[in-house]
Amino acid sequence: MNLAAHSASMAETIVFAILSAGVLVGGLLTVTRRNPVSAVMCLVLTFAALAGLFATLSAHFLAVLQILVYAGAVMVLFIFVVMMVNREESTPIARQGLVTRAAGVLAAGYVFYRVAWLVSHERTLPLLAASATPPVKDFGTVSAVGALLFADFLFPFEAISLLLLLAVVGGVMLTRHVREDHSSRVS
Amino acid sequence: MPTYAYILVSLALFFVGAAGVLLRRNVLIVLMSVEMQLAAGTLALLSFSRALGDQKGHVFAFFVMALAAAEAAVGLAIVVSVFRTRRTASLDEVNGLKG
Repeated sequence: MNLAAHSASMAETIVFAILSAGVLVGGLLTVTRRNPVSAVMCLVLTFAALAGLFATLSAHFLAVLQILVYAGAVMVLFIFVVMMVNREESTPIARQGLVTRAAGVLAAGYVFYRVAWLVSHERTLPLLAASATPPVKDFGTVSAVGALLFADFLFPFEAISLLLLLAVVGGVMLTRHVREDHSSRVS
Repeated sequence: MPTYAYILVSLALFFVGAAGVLLRRNVLIVLMSVEMQLAAGTLALLSFSRALGDQKGHVFAFFVMALAAAEAAVGLAIVVSVFRTRRTASLDEVNGLKG
């Protein structure tokens, strides 16, 4: 029994290591690719591995949504725009203003180091050490999250639908070809 | 796995995205890095949600996902319309609002 529990936690650790390595390697490859098409493909790897991490957090509904919305719809949108706008860069990182940007990255790296140090240092706190199975039944299933979404969070849910409508209309407005009005277009 | 491991992965992904936003000049890759940062935030929400045993975090993660989809749609529309007028996708060449 103890051995079985131990091997189960071992398997959990291995799955977590593989998935988080997929997330981080995919992310690093995305920001270093010269060709935007390969960057999109690496981002798909990141989001797919992230969906796996969501599933290990017993967030099944969000894991499925992650695959459908991000790895599916949003990435297809990106691929379309990459095909329209594809210009391969000669240098992925421009020289112009490099000092300022490098300072920004160093500052961000320092913040990352401090926060990561804090999280690892305080890992015995009950909130950060918790790994037990969730106390709520049906945790993270479609019915449980959906019940919450349509009861307590009905107004924000409707507001989000309005936001999505605005995004659709805004996207159409921004990309519409105006043929009559040539004077306002910058050449 | 304990929650802090997930939080560390989320932090690392967020800062990989931040480095992409700060360093890259291709507007498409900058948008992808922003998406990555939003996804890292979602991971943190979900891991704290499990640690607290409270599913409200899942609802907020859902909202973040919808927001990210809207942001991608509008951002890519702006990229397309800028590309039409200026024939470029580099942030160094699009500086018309710079004082």
